[in-house]
Amino acid sequence: MNAIHPKQFRILAIAPVTRGFGFAVLEGQDTLVNWGVKTVKGKGNKNAKLLPKVEELIARYQPGVLVLEDASAKGSLRHTRIRRLAPQIVKVAETCKVDVKLFSREHMLKILVPDGQRTKHDLAKVVAGQFPVQLGYKLPPKRTAAMREHYQMGIFDAVMVAMVFRLEH
Amino acid sequence: MTSPQLSNYLVSNRKRLALSQKEVALLLGNTGGAKVSRYERFDREPSLETALALEVIFQRSASELFSGLYQKVEQEVIERAKALASRTDRGNPKRQIFTNIANKSLN
Repeated sequence: MNAIHPKQFRILAIAPVTRGFGFAVLEGQDTLVNWGVKTVKGKGNKNAKLLPKVEELIARYQPGVLVLEDASAKGSLRHTRIRRLAPQIVKVAETCKVDVKLFSREHMLKILVPDGQRTKHDLAKVVAGQFPVQLGYKLPPKRTAAMREHYQMGIFDAVMVAMVFRLEH
Repeated sequence: MTSPQLSNYLVSNRKRLALSQKEVALLLGNTGGAKVSRYERFDREPSLETALALEVIFQRSASELFSGLYQKVEQEVIERAKALASRTDRGNPKRQIFTNIANKSLN
């Protein structure tokens, strides 16, 4: 019994997207406990509406570490709102006494695809290949220039950050 | 560093099968997904009948689905077995049974 879900390190990964954020909870070496997208609707301060959802996830899953992309890293192309959201998430995690680890996009690419630059879809395919049963069916179709990014891409981004943390630790 | 065990792993098993909360609720004989949501959020513990139904749905043992709860119950039983073993006379064969339970070895 204990071999299936041993008491071990849990990672909560968060990837902010336009509608909210994608999240993934990883446990042990390769157990994906939960994944999804938390969205907010309506006008107003989107970040303020998202922070309670982060807090709720931390309270529910009590992770050992919270990982997310460093939106303020040099060369990051993230929107100003998301650049503002990342430090707010860090603050929430610190209040909940959870360690935080930030990874720049550049660093993540170096770890996951050392042989060169790939598209976001290629990276999502790598993630889906790692968790075919859980995420294989969620892989969005390849985006063309006329299409906006699929909102579920946030899940793949979140799992990707968690995988980078797992590979480094 | 370790994280505390989660009470249950229903959400990962449900999503693994690409089932919605409502579909699981229907399989459990309920109409809406609210109860399933509460189980997944650790706000409510299912009845024995529901736990067994979940075992049938997800094809995983109940102790596996509710591993956090299982560990908690296991620890409590071990503590009780230890207490009973210490209170039982050395010559009494039940002492060995309690000791085996406390050591999680086969009786």
